[in-house]
Amino acid sequence: MTRIGQFRAWLGRDVNALLLAGALLLAAWPFFQGDPYSLRLLTLSGIYALAAIGYQFVFGHAGALSLAQGTFFGLGAYAAGILSVKAGLGFELTFPAAMAAAGLLAVIVALPVLRLESHYFALATLGVGQVVLLVAVNWESVTGGANGIAGVAKVSLFGLTVERGWPLMLLVWGLAGLGAWGARHFTGGMAGPKFALMREQPMAAEACGIDIRRLRFTAFLMSALYGGAAGALQVHTVRVVSPEVLEFPIMVSLLAITVIGGRTSIAGAILGAVLLVHLPEWFRPLEKYYLMSYGAALLATILVAPWGLMGALRMARQRWLPEPALPLPAPLPLSISATQDTLEIQRLVRHFGGVRAVDGIDLTVASGEALGIVGANGSGKSTLINLIAGAEKPDAGSIHWADGRIDGMPPAAIAQAGIARTFQSLKLVDAMSVLDNVSAGDRMGVDRRSAHGKAVELLGQLGLADVAWLPCGSLPPGLRRRAELARALIAGPSLLLLDEPAAGLTGEERVSLADTLSRLNRDGMTLAVVEHDLDFLTRFASRLVCLDGGRIIADGSPELVRDDPAVIAAWLGSPPVEACDG
Amino acid sequence: MELLQLVINGIALGAGYALVALGFVLVLNATSAVNFAQGDLVVAGGFMGVALAGLAPLPGIALLPFAMILMAAVGLIVSVLAYWPLRDRPPVSVFISTIALGIIIQNGLNGIFGAEPRVAPAMFGTGRFEFGGLALSHQSLAIMLVAALLIGGVHLLLGRTQLGRMLRATAQDSDIAAALGIPVGAMVALTFALAAALAGAAGLLLANQFFVTPADGGNFIVKAYIAVVIGGWGRIGGALAGAMLVALFETVVAAWFDYAVATGLLYAALLVILFVRPEGLFGEAAGRRA
Amino acid sequence: MAETLLEVRGLSVFHGRVQAVENAGFTVASGDVVALLGANGAGKSSLLGALMGLVRGSHGEIRFAGQAIERLPARRRSRLGIGYVPEGRRVFPGMTAEENLLVASRDNADARAARLAEMYELFPRLGERRDAAAWQLSGGEQQMLAIARALMPRPRLLLVDEPTLGLSPALAAVVTGVLRDIAADGAAVLLAEQNARAAQAACDRALLMRLGSLVGEGTPQELEADERLTTVMMGG
Repeated sequence: MTRIGQFRAWLGRDVNALLLAGALLLAAWPFFQGDPYSLRLLTLSGIYALAAIGYQFVFGHAGALSLAQGTFFGLGAYAAGILSVKAGLGFELTFPAAMAAAGLLAVIVALPVLRLESHYFALATLGVGQVVLLVAVNWESVTGGANGIAGVAKVSLFGLTVERGWPLMLLVWGLAGLGAWGARHFTGGMAGPKFALMREQPMAAEACGIDIRRLRFTAFLMSALYGGAAGALQVHTVRVVSPEVLEFPIMVSLLAITVIGGRTSIAGAILGAVLLVHLPEWFRPLEKYYLMSYGAALLATILVAPWGLMGALRMARQRWLPEPALPLPAPLPLSISATQDTLEIQRLVRHFGGVRAVDGIDLTVASGEALGIVGANGSGKSTLINLIAGAEKPDAGSIHWADGRIDGMPPAAIAQAGIARTFQSLKLVDAMSVLDNVSAGDRMGVDRRSAHGKAVELLGQLGLADVAWLPCGSLPPGLRRRAELARALIAGPSLLLLDEPAAGLTGEERVSLADTLSRLNRDGMTLAVVEHDLDFLTRFASRLVCLDGGRIIADGSPELVRDDPAVIAAWLGSPPVEACDG
Repeated sequence: MELLQLVINGIALGAGYALVALGFVLVLNATSAVNFAQGDLVVAGGFMGVALAGLAPLPGIALLPFAMILMAAVGLIVSVLAYWPLRDRPPVSVFISTIALGIIIQNGLNGIFGAEPRVAPAMFGTGRFEFGGLALSHQSLAIMLVAALLIGGVHLLLGRTQLGRMLRATAQDSDIAAALGIPVGAMVALTFALAAALAGAAGLLLANQFFVTPADGGNFIVKAYIAVVIGGWGRIGGALAGAMLVALFETVVAAWFDYAVATGLLYAALLVILFVRPEGLFGEAAGRRA
Repeated sequence: MAETLLEVRGLSVFHGRVQAVENAGFTVASGDVVALLGANGAGKSSLLGALMGLVRGSHGEIRFAGQAIERLPARRRSRLGIGYVPEGRRVFPGMTAEENLLVASRDNADARAARLAEMYELFPRLGERRDAAAWQLSGGEQQMLAIARALMPRPRLLLVDEPTLGLSPALAAVVTGVLRDIAADGAAVLLAEQNARAAQAACDRALLMRLGSLVGEGTPQELEADERLTTVMMGG
């Protein structure tokens, strides 16, 4: 590799973006000149960076607009401040206590709040913050009311005081660095791709057996712990705590830092914090209007660089410094589950309003079969797949798989029982690499390295090895279909449900996908494939069923079904019947 | 009797909140986005009244049309800056851009007027009606009347006019509205203008009895947000009822305990409602996204 | 031969990287009902959406009444005289049936009322249900409403996407009958259908579409015994 190539590869990895941010910070150092005020600003930047890294878990990774991060921060500040002043505890105790207090609040509110979607979640978290603020203002005996509590001790560790200036600044940035390392370790593992899948394609995440509620809870709790930790640092730095720390402007600052820096980039959180803390200083000449600069910076970022500065930087890098192909991880063998399980559907019914989409279907899929499900639009094919996979609940009837009844079970549980699926409209994370997209489906995976290994094995089998590092969104549809197939296969399912896998594919792509499915089936995979294209199905299916009006009208070998007059009629539609009176 | 008095006070406050919530829900329906600057637009309306009164010492009712027209212009600016460039992005982008715009408005007002509470002129003058031990200030009555007129006007506009039908069609399915020849972009901008004018009216009305400071926007947006959630996301009637409930709750409970407890209980009630009935007390707008 | 109203040349439509329509070319004359037949996913809806101006990523020439319209937004195309009945009806759910019709009108109040009366004559059922909210209407009623809504401004070309989907054969007959009447009055109809038999009963000429491309055309009589129809409808 050439020297320039090496440099590009170095720039290419996220950890180096982190170093880049650090370098930027150092480059700005002459401006600080080490005077107490500059050191204080830098210290505060570190505190906000820590809180923002935490906020990225819930806002960036889980994709939920929480407005409670300021509350976790303020609660941490209060907890540490009160324990310091009233109980005389040192930082070694107030710091974990602050994290515990924020974490406890997160656990308490998680139950009512976490299951809410989008705007409701935002408002509910805002409401939690307002309640905490009111308690702080009104519980005067403990919180000091509107005036708060002054005289919080300096940071002291086991009796050893950390003085202001350099020592405190280094401690804060040390802890922020520790937090950054922890966050990187966490999201750099299996959690990263799972978060992305959950955020961008929640249905697909569930179908991959990912427990969305647990993952959201983890993100919320992590953000609270980081927020509480930052709050403790803040209170020992400014040495007073008042209701201001719980008010909305703190929350807005954290939001602005995360949006401006980048929603999932740790370097972005650090960069954003340094910028936002210093921004008002640079706009001092505007006098009383200087705070408007905050709003203007936030607005400008969301308009021109929606993925923040780090996102813009990454895009610029992809444009000007395209990454050389990284070496592929070594392939790891997959665990193949050679079960002899049977799917048994009995009298299954599902209505939508007055329409019976599935109207009493009895169907058995034996182990090792390759079943094609055909029928016109609206005949109930997709609904049938959704019912088996748990995305829909039946109104009547039962579905048995292996030795248990699975109808009514959540999709994640059905996936865990060994049934995998793909979607008619591709549900991939477009911005994420093929390798990570496939790895996200490895629900048993303990670390990303082994998941990547298994993914590489599958990508090799499916002819995707060359594009492993490319973002899924940049691939033609045929390859994306294969990527989704690989994601469904990585957890080693015994039954594979495919919903219109040939949609959007060219003729050649169809033939090659059919060959792949045929090979999978020969290797022992049971297939149930909904498809419109009979030619495609005939290439690998051992049996076809044809649906019409939510019922099975033909069942048998492909040749038999294909020539069935009832099937042909269903395909071409029925001629309109003249009504008696118009 | 005391309770009745509180209810009267609460209805006056609720009438003001209802205007705010109405503007919020109109934008929500038209764009599926939360306009978080709506609270700051209320405050801007209040200061608009303060500034106009400084230029021409007229009663509030004479200033109201001017304030609403100016605020409508501000609403157009909001739509151009914070909505239009983001119309194809996820709704959370608009949430954030309007938060940003709110900060700009708040600090701009702070720069111009300072942080001290200011008073906008009364609608007709001061004084109160008394009957049977109950008091109703002229201003409270004016708030109720003006709010009722404006809400009635919006109702007629949306329900009876071709423009109103076009606004609603745009809100319900903008692609199909465009395919029917409706100028969708103009309709959305107009919705923002209308919402800002309503916020401005609320600001002018409330800034007499309750004063106005640049930092009040957060309070208004949260109240409107709560009103819309408990009224059922996207339901206009529900939002108005929700605003009234929020104001009554606040007024009556505040009299028994104090304001802080009332607000705390309001949020607690909100969390309970969200937990038990996430679709709001009256259900989400039926078929709105059908 | 009636005048050519719509002329399409070299039209391609992309959804991201997926090519939904490839190099389509055809004409539609005034007074004609032309059916676009193909299986689910063949690209029929994308083609109609591109003609209406609702789909981004379309390239090629579209001339309507002699004017190039491929760069115009949907609103302008509508005002030139193109009407659109989308797949799945997409009536405005929170408005009454009557409001759904009124909002589509560009006339003054009197002419609007007169046109409304004509629509109720065409679809008496809608007159009976005029005050019902659109989301409460049955599927068939919604389909009639969507067609009537598109007809309110008197379009010269009506694009209709899967109008018989989910309708009983009797209702489908009503709908196809109305489409014939519209054409008899001089307008053109371009009808995308998956139900080949229903479309054949309604159209003068059919275009066959498979995997994004137009692969053949003919009159209903010609297609009756044509192998290609079965192939197109059964292939993806």
